[in-house]
Amino acid sequence: MAGTAEPRVLLQANNLTKAFPGVMALNGVNFRVNAGEVTALVGENGAGKSTLIKILAGFYTPDSGEVMINGVLLKFTPKASHLAGIATIHQDHQLVPNMSVAENISLGMWESKYGFVSKRREADRAQTILSEILPNLDPQRLAKALSPAEAQLVEISKALSENSKILVMDEPTSSLSNTEVDRLFEIVAKLKSNGIGIVFVSHWLDEIFRISDYITILRDGALVDSVPTKTATRDEIIRKMVGRDIKEIKSTLQGTSKRVLEVKNLSRNGVLEDISFNVNAGEIVTLAGLEGAGRSEIAECIFGIQKYQKGEILVAGFAIAKSNPKAAIEAGIGLVPEDRHSQAMIPKMSVKNNVSVALLKKFTRLTWLLPKVEENIYSNMKERLNIKAPTSETKIATLSGGNQQKVILGRWLSLNPKLLILDEPTKGVDVAAKAEISKIIIEMATLGTAVLLISSELPEVLALSDRVIVIRSGKISGELVGNSINQKSIMDLAMAL
Amino acid sequence: MKLRPESFIGKNTLKNLTSLQDFGLLFVIFFGGVILSFASDVFATGLNFRNVALASTVIAVMAIGQTFVILVAGIDLSVGAMLALSSVLSVGFTIKQGLPVGISLILALIVGGSVGLLNGFSVTVLKIPPLIATLASMSVVRGIAYIYSGGMNITPTPSIFSQFQEKTVFGVPLVIVFTVVLGIIAHIILTRTSFGRQVFSTGGNALASKLAGIRVNRVVIYCYMISGLCAALAGILLSARLDAGAATAGMGYELTVISACVIGGVSLFGGEGKIGAVFLGVLLLALVQNAINLLEVPANYDYVVSGLVIAAAASLDVYRRGLVDAGLKRSTNGAAR
Repeated sequence: MAGTAEPRVLLQANNLTKAFPGVMALNGVNFRVNAGEVTALVGENGAGKSTLIKILAGFYTPDSGEVMINGVLLKFTPKASHLAGIATIHQDHQLVPNMSVAENISLGMWESKYGFVSKRREADRAQTILSEILPNLDPQRLAKALSPAEAQLVEISKALSENSKILVMDEPTSSLSNTEVDRLFEIVAKLKSNGIGIVFVSHWLDEIFRISDYITILRDGALVDSVPTKTATRDEIIRKMVGRDIKEIKSTLQGTSKRVLEVKNLSRNGVLEDISFNVNAGEIVTLAGLEGAGRSEIAECIFGIQKYQKGEILVAGFAIAKSNPKAAIEAGIGLVPEDRHSQAMIPKMSVKNNVSVALLKKFTRLTWLLPKVEENIYSNMKERLNIKAPTSETKIATLSGGNQQKVILGRWLSLNPKLLILDEPTKGVDVAAKAEISKIIIEMATLGTAVLLISSELPEVLALSDRVIVIRSGKISGELVGNSINQKSIMDLAMAL
Repeated sequence: MKLRPESFIGKNTLKNLTSLQDFGLLFVIFFGGVILSFASDVFATGLNFRNVALASTVIAVMAIGQTFVILVAGIDLSVGAMLALSSVLSVGFTIKQGLPVGISLILALIVGGSVGLLNGFSVTVLKIPPLIATLASMSVVRGIAYIYSGGMNITPTPSIFSQFQEKTVFGVPLVIVFTVVLGIIAHIILTRTSFGRQVFSTGGNALASKLAGIRVNRVVIYCYMISGLCAALAGILLSARLDAGAATAGMGYELTVISACVIGGVSLFGGEGKIGAVFLGVLLLALVQNAINLLEVPANYDYVVSGLVIAAAASLDVYRRGLVDAGLKRSTNGAAR
């Protein structure tokens, strides 16, 4: 192929349409993957990226439209996609945790003799396959002992071992550290030079600009544009993803001197050491630091999820009971936890019930629920937070990540908490909803709530914080106020410099 | 997600699919009934209907309690044994110990609630998996029933038992009215009260519920207590029906009860289910039993037929869930996210 002006088309999807009950997931989308190129697929949550990937992987059959691989019509079954050379690395890892790397690699395609699998041959094969990407990995290690990055790379190795021509990666960097991302990108570059076509789905525009040759933008199930990365600009892509301009938000709060939260000498064996800080009413204080530094643990101690050995936590001057979330709520604390799915959402319940679950008392008279009061609580929050749900009976699981998060925010806002703790509130949330959530946080603080924010996204930290407390290895490594808050000062304190 | 009120499939599709189960069950019961009435002269008689309904009451009362437990993602295997224990105690306290009938009944109910309390305690505080915890109590409770009764039926029952059994309200046996009223009360508790909401919430996501300030352990314990209480109540009904306190009664009933709940669409993962549909599940199982009797299916085939019906109903349920989940999953992974 080298030297030709027109790259070879590996995959051509024409006019793909897929409807689900109530939603047009894809609407007449055309999509192309060239050999030796990276095509980035971007769009807000719900734009149709996942649906498109699932069609390519053969999990969904489109209602209309076709996919040609090397000019051959693709039948929509996982096996047909596999045989056609499409390998998909899904967002959630798909290794069997209790099997070794070697066993995982040969999963489903055991070379057996009379039904017996040769362990040695399996290991040899794994070694060969891994040598390209992970030469130092022991194939006998159990999959559950791998780091997220290693697991990701094992999956890629596995996919490539199957003579794949097209590699589809769905948010491959979401669980990787920066150096691991660099490593992944080196490998992607190598694959490109081998003529493999790559589809790269990511929320991170920086990565997309670094790695891709083409950017395909989807919005509400329709193709917006497909542009060469070289000529594209960040603003242009965001505008096309969202369909409008997004204003930058910046908090200009000062806070008051009314002390809401006091944490004194908080220590938890092996995790936290002598943590002391305050949060005042109307103030947004951010706990910054690296992942695993102990920030979530501080939040969990305050909210009564985790036990701690030493220290005292006071809300509005009163000590709150240890390890009792109910007492924490009654003391006026709300928590938007880091993992929305396991810690906050009740997926089978409606959006209305998800909002009201923490304040059942407010609309209960002698154990009877008052449906009208509940409906009012919900409709207030729906309006205030701009929750987009068809009806109040819609199950929360059917909403977009951003709207789910707004429902959880609504749960706590309707309690009117003295202290609101937000642990990575915009994680897995699209650009537009991110801006809305930031706005809500500022609004809450303006109304006098003390806000304790935990965030790993520096732009968010810079935009929202009045004060930044940096945590490193379970200890406070410094506090930043006002103009001293910047990317460098935070990172210097977060990393041991 | 962009909202499309003019949605091309109809915005209620998902909702309709959810209630498909109830209609499906009604449909199966209705057409099964039509076929049976052609196949057997006896089926479509008032007496037969009355018998089917009467035979369902004991299972239905137990199923009400079981529904609470399954809603919080638990399971209660001890109900069949509890039924037997309550049956012998409710009769025995009067016949053997000479207590007044009212006291005997109340004591039997208290024992049921206490067994439920112990089950709940094992599951929440001791963190024993529900299957094991209630398997253990099933054995212990059955053993106590044998020890107390010496393995013999306790007869005769006090006259109030047979009076209750024979009494009718506007021609409908009182037992049936009682069962339906109990079902309605349970339905109201589940849908209209704070406790009911906490049951669904706890079953839907226990951790999230705890972090929303719900005392999850307490809710789970209450559900096991309700199950124990219902099983004890069913035991009293059974004594009235058999006119004896029977320690050997209710063998394998726990499986019938759980099957009825599952056929009625109560999710074994918790957080999803309706009492009304559970009653339909009970009715379907009773009809199958009735058909087996009327069509003179050899007794040895009995279990196979029952098993196949349960498997068919469960497959229908999985299929229905698949349809609903396809809609849900689309939204968690794809378009509506």
